Amino acid sequence: MQRRQFLSLTVGALALAVAPASVRAEDYRKLKPAVWSAHKMDMAIKAMYGTTATIEEGVKLKAANVAFDSGKMATAANGGAIPLDFSTKIPAKTIAVFQDANPEAAVCVYTVGKYDMTTYSIKIKMGNPGSVKVIVEGQDGKLYSATQKLNVAKGGCEG
Amino acid sequence: MKVKAKLKKGVVKVKAMAKHNMITYNQAEKKTGNKDDANFITHVSATCNGETVLDMSTSQFLSKNPILKFQFKGEIFKKGDKVLMTWVDRKGKTGKGKGKIK
Repeated sequence: MQRRQFLSLTVGALALAVAPASVRAEDYRKLKPAVWSAHKMDMAIKAMYGTTATIEEGVKLKAANVAFDSGKMATAANGGAIPLDFSTKIPAKTIAVFQDANPEAAVCVYTVGKYDMTTYSIKIKMGNPGSVKVIVEGQDGKLYSATQKLNVAKGGCEG
Repeated sequence: MKVKAKLKKGVVKVKAMAKHNMITYNQAEKKTGNKDDANFITHVSATCNGETVLDMSTSQFLSKNPILKFQFKGEIFKKGDKVLMTWVDRKGKTGKGKGKIK
């Protein structure tokens, strides 16, 4: 038993030692092409991380400048440019944004570098009402997420 | 690409805008009947003094002329340093921009 513990510790230490070297540009479109062609959010998440099980905590996600109806549904006036703010304090490896309103699910994937504050804002398009999910892949290997349901008054994918 | 960067309390906040139409597959099919005419930014990166401070792969669902905001630790950076940003689109075209940290 002790030997086993020792072995697993060594492997863990090695993994830690290797980690900083992996902080360099990653093109996830080439690395994981299946993520970008997946039509369903679950499929895209699975293609990216191998599982859809996430912990719903530690991630802040807000769709800015939208009116909140009763409940947690937010309505964006213009689906062509919905501002999204998201951040996390969890030490992260990657952060991915998905939504389920458009033909494909993936929006973007960040590779977190050592200077990164993991605080971002982007503007996205949504053709229909749906929900947005931000997934943070922590350095501990766990997946953390936050979800925001969005109503869209005017579709963003119309010409 | 327009880049604005500001150093405050040890954090550099960057706001950038890429001028790009971000045509989705659906829009391309509607306009020209050919899905392959879709063109959108697929990768954006930013560096400061040779250090990578942003690295993202993107899809067609960023808005037209997408605005990106991000923050990075300012410890080894100072005012006057330049933030360089580059994007690449689906057709292989690249765009560049730089902004001095204020």
